[in-house]
Amino acid sequence: MLEGLVSQESLSLNSMDMSVLERLKWVQQQQQQLQQVVYQSSNNSHELLQILQFHGSNNDDLLQSSFSPFQMLGSGFGPNYNIGFGPPHEAMDECISRTSSCHMEPVDTIEVLLKTGEENRAIALKNKRNPEVKTRGEEKTEKKIKVEAETESSMKGKSNMRNTEASSDTSKETSKKASEIQKLDYIHVRARRGQATDRHSLAERARREKISKKMKYLQDIVPGCNKVTGKAGMLDEIINYVQCLQRQVEFLSMKLAVLNPELELAVEDVSVKQAYFTNVVASKQSIMVDVPLFPLDQQGSLDLSAINPNQTTSIEAPSASWETQSQSLYNTSSLGFQY
Amino acid sequence: MVESLFPSIENTSESSPESRRKKPRISEMAEIESRRINEESLKRWKTNRVQQIYASKLVEALRRVRQRSSTSTETDKVVSGAAREIRETADRVLAASARGTTRWSRAILASRVRAKLKKHRKAKKSTGNCKSRKGVTETNRIKLPAVERKLKILGRLVPGCRKVSVPNLLDEATDYIAALEMQVRAMEALAELLTAAAPRTTLTGT
Repeated sequence: MLEGLVSQESLSLNSMDMSVLERLKWVQQQQQQLQQVVYQSSNNSHELLQILQFHGSNNDDLLQSSFSPFQMLGSGFGPNYNIGFGPPHEAMDECISRTSSCHMEPVDTIEVLLKTGEENRAIALKNKRNPEVKTRGEEKTEKKIKVEAETESSMKGKSNMRNTEASSDTSKETSKKASEIQKLDYIHVRARRGQATDRHSLAERARREKISKKMKYLQDIVPGCNKVTGKAGMLDEIINYVQCLQRQVEFLSMKLAVLNPELELAVEDVSVKQAYFTNVVASKQSIMVDVPLFPLDQQGSLDLSAINPNQTTSIEAPSASWETQSQSLYNTSSLGFQY
Repeated sequence: MVESLFPSIENTSESSPESRRKKPRISEMAEIESRRINEESLKRWKTNRVQQIYASKLVEALRRVRQRSSTSTETDKVVSGAAREIRETADRVLAASARGTTRWSRAILASRVRAKLKKHRKAKKSTGNCKSRKGVTETNRIKLPAVERKLKILGRLVPGCRKVSVPNLLDEATDYIAALEMQVRAMEALAELLTAAAPRTTLTGT
């Protein structure tokens, strides 16, 4: 029966020319069918239905709210759904963007909240929690933007309350609390078992997950961050690294200030240019590896073949005033730089 | 002009990020921004193309700087002044390479304009504001938890990110770190090349 629903929906979704009335009727149909399904079938962990509706007099409201991700496990329905459902309404540019942006990967568990403004009923389906699904859910969570929820807060004021009602109702109904509120305009969070499902904690959990994901990116790029645990330690390392890089830039700019008179002469030399750009590119592969000085050969031209791809940009400046500074700085920083 | 001299450098593992940047998304800017920064910033500052663009721009800018200050006499103090100029030039070029997509790059580019305006308004009102700000932070400083304190410090390090929200700050820091690394690499290569070329030119000169 659900397959019938799915097929029907796929048909309707793919037609972008659905008028608003048609959509409304279709949504109502889905509601009825869903209710039947909910009452008849047991918790099927492989099927997810979710419809959130706000029957406003506005077309805008309807388009924004009527969103049904019917997802079957392993089906490519999700992406189709997404594209097809992008509301063609011109006024709903934001909505279009949101729908098109959310990747509906096949997910095993999604909580369904079905509401009708007129009937004031809430129907929710909660499925068993899957560990895999959890990670995907978290991915989805991060893709949703809080701004969306905030900008439409006025419209959703009622719906928010109904959401919480529904969630509390369903929490009473089912023992397991694996729930993911999946709505187009909401933040998608996952409430784990035994954790609070009220609005604020869910939002905060989403925010924390976002932040931790970004810290992970930073951890990848800052060397030496893996050894420290906890946000404070990692932030220490990050701050240290940024300061180190900035100091390096200062030092190099001082060096270039001294060398600048030779810049003009050197730039005119074609071989120098070639060497420069190979160096720049080559050094990206290995930085700060200590290698003996770039050979100053007596041939009078830079030997390009001598430039190994692994060669660094280690500095052994002829002028003594630079030597100590450069060596100390690069010795310390070479420990930290790993490419 | 300079790009014609690039030797054929094969792309190792990093492909050009431009295809990735032009990916889908006519969607929300914040979402694109954060995702792009996270997934691509690590890559986009490492590609050959970006590095070559930056390197060539740096060379041109430095040459212009040299011409501007060529008339001044060279003393030790001038070196530090020139160093500051070069650093600012390098930062500006770096920010320009970012194409205005990140906050810190816009701040760097804007700060130059602001610095010029500041010279005209130097004696006016900044001291008063500073004091009031300091008083507020003094009283509030005691209670801030460690993490938030460090986030503030990080916000001060990244240009233009003092009052930015935490997730955005982390994004900006990621991109800024990647950009700084590229800047360091390019300047090192340039410095090394100049030091290697210098004795040669002086030798040929004499």
